[in-house]
Amino acid sequence: MIRGDVSGRARDHFDWPLFIAAALIAVLGVVNLYSATSVYSGSRSELYISQVYWLVLGGILGGVLVAIDYRHLERLGYVLYAFGVFSLGLVFVLARDVRGSSRWIEFGSFRFQPSEFMKIFLVIALAKFLHDDPRSEGRTLKDLLVPAVLTGVPALLILKQPDLGTATILTLVFLTIAAVTRVRWKSVAVFVATVAGAAPIIWSYVLLDYQRDRITVFLRPEDDILHRGWHAHHSRVAIGNGGLFGNGFMKGTQNQFNFLPDQFSDFPFPVYAEEWGFVGTVLLILLYAFLSLWAIRIASLAKDRFGAVLGVGCGAILFWHALINIGMTSGVLPVVGVTLPLFSYGGSSVTTVMMAIALLMNVSMRRYSAVPAPDRL
Amino acid sequence: MSLVVQRSDVSEFRRRFRWIALGMALLFLGLILRLFQLQLLESDDSKAIARENIVRRVTLATTRGIIRDRNGKVLAESRPSYNLYVVPERIDMQNVWPKLVDYLGVGVDERARLETLLTNIRASDGPRKSQQILLKEDISRDAVATLRTHDAELPAVDVVPVPVRSYPYEEVGAHVLGYMAEVDAEKLSQLRSAGYVEGDRVGAMGIERAWESYLRGTRGWEKVLVDAKGRRRPGGEGIIEDPRRVDPIPGRDLRLTLDAEIQRAIEKAMRGELAGGVALVDVRTGRILGLYSKPSYDPNALSGGSGKQVIRDAFRRLYSDPLKPALDKTIAGAYPPGSTFKPFTALAALEKGLIDPRASTQCRGALTFGKRTFRCTHVHGSTDLHKGIAESCNVYFYRLAAELGVGMDVIAEMGQRFGLGTRTGLGVNAEAQGRMPTRAWMTLRNKGQFRLGFGLNAAIGQGATTVTVLQLALAYAALANGGTLYQPQIVRAVETSAGTVVQEFAPRVRRQIDVSPENLSRVQKALFAGVNSEAGTAYKARVLGVDMAGKTGTAQVSHKLARGAEAERVWYFNREHAWFAGYSPTRSPEVAVVVLVEHGGAGGKHAAPIAFEVVRAYQELMRERSPRAGVTSAGRAPSKGQGSAP
Repeated sequence: MIRGDVSGRARDHFDWPLFIAAALIAVLGVVNLYSATSVYSGSRSELYISQVYWLVLGGILGGVLVAIDYRHLERLGYVLYAFGVFSLGLVFVLARDVRGSSRWIEFGSFRFQPSEFMKIFLVIALAKFLHDDPRSEGRTLKDLLVPAVLTGVPALLILKQPDLGTATILTLVFLTIAAVTRVRWKSVAVFVATVAGAAPIIWSYVLLDYQRDRITVFLRPEDDILHRGWHAHHSRVAIGNGGLFGNGFMKGTQNQFNFLPDQFSDFPFPVYAEEWGFVGTVLLILLYAFLSLWAIRIASLAKDRFGAVLGVGCGAILFWHALINIGMTSGVLPVVGVTLPLFSYGGSSVTTVMMAIALLMNVSMRRYSAVPAPDRL
Repeated sequence: MSLVVQRSDVSEFRRRFRWIALGMALLFLGLILRLFQLQLLESDDSKAIARENIVRRVTLATTRGIIRDRNGKVLAESRPSYNLYVVPERIDMQNVWPKLVDYLGVGVDERARLETLLTNIRASDGPRKSQQILLKEDISRDAVATLRTHDAELPAVDVVPVPVRSYPYEEVGAHVLGYMAEVDAEKLSQLRSAGYVEGDRVGAMGIERAWESYLRGTRGWEKVLVDAKGRRRPGGEGIIEDPRRVDPIPGRDLRLTLDAEIQRAIEKAMRGELAGGVALVDVRTGRILGLYSKPSYDPNALSGGSGKQVIRDAFRRLYSDPLKPALDKTIAGAYPPGSTFKPFTALAALEKGLIDPRASTQCRGALTFGKRTFRCTHVHGSTDLHKGIAESCNVYFYRLAAELGVGMDVIAEMGQRFGLGTRTGLGVNAEAQGRMPTRAWMTLRNKGQFRLGFGLNAAIGQGATTVTVLQLALAYAALANGGTLYQPQIVRAVETSAGTVVQEFAPRVRRQIDVSPENLSRVQKALFAGVNSEAGTAYKARVLGVDMAGKTGTAQVSHKLARGAEAERVWYFNREHAWFAGYSPTRSPEVAVVVLVEHGGAGGKHAAPIAFEVVRAYQELMRERSPRAGVTSAGRAPSKGQGSAP
């Protein structure tokens, strides 16, 4: 199915800048995880090794994904989406309660988090929809109804888990993709007005107590440093403690003395910021910025809408994760559980990010390839 | 083909890619600016907070000095007690709580009480539920050990050692030693600069209070590294600046002049009486060997370790008892001395040359003076000074005042020379002053009216004349030693915890009383007869082998209870105070003893036997301790490094 000349030429166009940026982040991420988990004893202190396994596994999965021409995914778009939504529903049936939320499906010792993969499936589904949508005139809200529903269904399921962070990411990814399409200004205005109008309703009926708490704590952080404000406060202190050059590897006291809970999952950034300082954090942000902007560049060079939306979508996943995670740890955004790509520990998270990067690579490598023959379309 | 082109047309998006990219870039720039703010502009604040987070200054407790008696017996020391703290909010009532009560080994009632307490706090809204609260004080050693082994199963539970003052002699000498109490807010504001903090215990009474600054010691501190859960972490070089530690200085020990065994003997001798006070003073030094007030109380119950409720209850009992256990009857209570004062009246008359000691007076059991009749105990017949003292004839002394010109002022002056009616300056507890009423004072008190009858009362130590037990003991010591009035002394030396004497207090003479030895000797002989002649008032109380001179007294109670109160109380509280004051042995005296039995009745019957008992105990103890049997050496403590008394 993959025509030899296309794949051969694709291999020549391997996207080195994308690969190097991602690899650098991954390496920094593992090194940082080593430091972050050094405060633990037992199996937790070896999470960085598991992370390497996940990176390798994600790499293999990514390799496979790169090898398959992304355009084949187009046909699978809604199937994958349906599978994603189905597994999200399955979470409610099967998942075990972990700290008040159920996000995982377990097969023996293997745990997997459908909400993570849903991000990729949603991007593919949205790409397919826009690919199939012949319109090039300004879209009205009505025209965006289907993609909005495509987003809304998994987002609500995820919100029910409850996982405000991932639901937010899905919504933001959708909005980013929508922003690429030509939406009428009037529709944008109506949308903004509607969201503003709906906000109090969402606040009262959709959000759970603890989610509301997090936002109130964010707005008045010093009220409750010992409990709900603990994470935000100590993570800010850790970042500030880093100063210009940082305290050095393994020398961040906020981390070493356990003031950063969840430093391997949601809060690896303060660990890094404390050890490497402003110099280190700027480098890391530049890497994420490069990755995000490079994704937009890949999207803009894509040969078809499917590839373009895929590029924007994958870029949006990486961008929003990085922005929200760093934003919440540095106290400019409320604390919601959003991982930092390739820095946070976790199989589902790592493989999802690797898949996103693989898809970007895929689109990037095939930007020169011929449009598939009409008979295949 | 057109379909293909249309479906794949990316041109629609193209212009917007730039805006998206610009938006992303700007948002990342915003993050960088935020990090610039945190890591460069506000970094110093964060660094300070991060440092504060892990560097904690912990105070290092100091140990309070030990109070010992003159032979080294411990009267007050600190023992470790263990308090149990829990964080109500964080304690698991289903799984952890049953284990905790099991390990504690508390009874059903106690368990229910603690459970209610916890449940209430957990249900309340206050900040208390997230803080450590004191659940139980002074838990047993066994419970501590069990809790320590099961530490891991008991999150939010903490056992904290706290030193608690312990008084092995319990009620014996509580008034002198005092007790400890938690420092209150008002006192704390004054003491904060001296290093006191909330929850500290401070000497609240007696020597504990008066010598607080010696006993207390100085806290030390140490800077340690702690993690977020408050666990200690080693290391800290480069994080903690020097000095990292200041060692605590333990409090000074005190060596008292008191003798624990004598205190015990006094307590035992007083067992038959409800209330009163006893003082035993070394005639040659003014050192106090025994000072005991009854009823007493257990300072252990007040000093903590047993829980706030127990302390509150103990205080309530202390202050609601009509026998006033809180009052130190040896120095804080002023009582009319009654006949024990007669030797001073006699001396006043003799020194002024107003009487001939050999001249006799007829006692017919009473003396009518003006419109009033002043009573005597019985008909003494022909009475001279010697007999007047020995057999305690009131009429003889009335005559001195009424007919021989021994006025109030003369009597008061003599009393004052012997330290009566003046605070002794013991410096341990608040002292009553007592009173030697003068003519002027009585006139003032009676709205300008002075009646000669006042002087008659003063001559026999009644009426407005009041003294404290300790004053009288020192005065009798002066009678015994030829007129040297000593400063009373109860703390003999300050020592380090290693036993080295830091400061030793030599006996201090307050005054050499200028009385002629001849007159003094006359009085001494009369005091000897008071005990040893068959008609002497204390004759019946004599104890074989105790060589004593002294004077009994029976003092009227001035504020009689009105009828209408319970009959039993009226009977008791309207009864006279029984006194005995004396010294022993009669030829080279060593100790002066004063016994006051409140509402005890006749002195000869109720106070004198106690005095004999106490002195006998003293003699036995001296014999036991003396290297050469039979040679007594009061005031000379056998312990090392004490120096010797002059």
